[in-house]
Amino acid sequence: MAQRLQLHQLLETFTPNVYFQPPTNVQLKYPCIVYKRDFADTKFADDVPYNHTKRYQVTIIDRDPDSDIPDQVAAMPMSLFNRFYTAENLNHDVYSVFF
Amino acid sequence: MAPLTWDDVGDRLYEVGVDHGVLYLPDSAGVYNTGVAWNGLTTVTESPSGADANPQYADNIKYLNLIAAEEFGATIEAFTYPDEFAACDGTNIDTPGVAVGQQGRQMFGLSYRTKVGNDVDGVDHGYKLHLVYGCQAAPSEKAYATINDSPEAISFSWDVTTSPHPVTGMKPTSLIVVDSTTVDPADLTSLETLLYGQAATPAALPTPDAVIALFAGP
Repeated sequence: MAQRLQLHQLLETFTPNVYFQPPTNVQLKYPCIVYKRDFADTKFADDVPYNHTKRYQVTIIDRDPDSDIPDQVAAMPMSLFNRFYTAENLNHDVYSVFF
Repeated sequence: MAPLTWDDVGDRLYEVGVDHGVLYLPDSAGVYNTGVAWNGLTTVTESPSGADANPQYADNIKYLNLIAAEEFGATIEAFTYPDEFAACDGTNIDTPGVAVGQQGRQMFGLSYRTKVGNDVDGVDHGYKLHLVYGCQAAPSEKAYATINDSPEAISFSWDVTTSPHPVTGMKPTSLIVVDSTTVDPADLTSLETLLYGQAATPAALPTPDAVIALFAGP
């Protein structure tokens, strides 16, 4: 299974509403997790890219300001909190996750 | 006679990269007849030392300059190492899966390839094969660190000292470099067949004399 699909399955254990790079016409159901590719780290050896790890921007959107979903994302390996903001009475927690 | 010129097209040479690392283990006779690929090689730093000047004075002048013997050392850095290197790093794995440290350190040979580039062909202009004999690795630090917010693989590093190998008609040496842009391509293919092995024969590191004889022509 592709790495991204494994990440998708893992995020679905936090909430069933998980969206990967959703188009603008998709109606989001809250609480939800929206994630997208935003970076990749490459290590070089033997004159070639030896190891390549993708990073995703994972945004948890929830009406509940005390939601435990951000804590579950924060507990993932190689997860780092990026920022928090509110928009339209929705709480947004943004994490960067290498997976 | 044509005047000197600089930086002509095709003459802007440079060297870059390191790949095709091979570890060679000697048999009881000292013949490097077992070669294994070394994956994840990131850096090989060649560090010759010695050759210190020892000036001698007489008649109120600097009379002569005695030069000490030169030694060859290196530092190998890699993300990983072949299982066979364990014996060279003081680890005994006679019981599969159980590594016992602080044991004797086996001598080994090493070869690696660096690329030669120029302004016309880029980094594919040619390459150099570096053959190192009589290596012994010193104990080295392995800094295991927690996984954090970004992926960081451990970079292993070994300081290597060498014992020179005899060469007929020359001083003993630990290092031979073969330049693909200069030598005969057929002879180079023969050397690479030896170094990297083929279906019927394992990879092996020929002696300096054998390498020189290979390129000496008929």
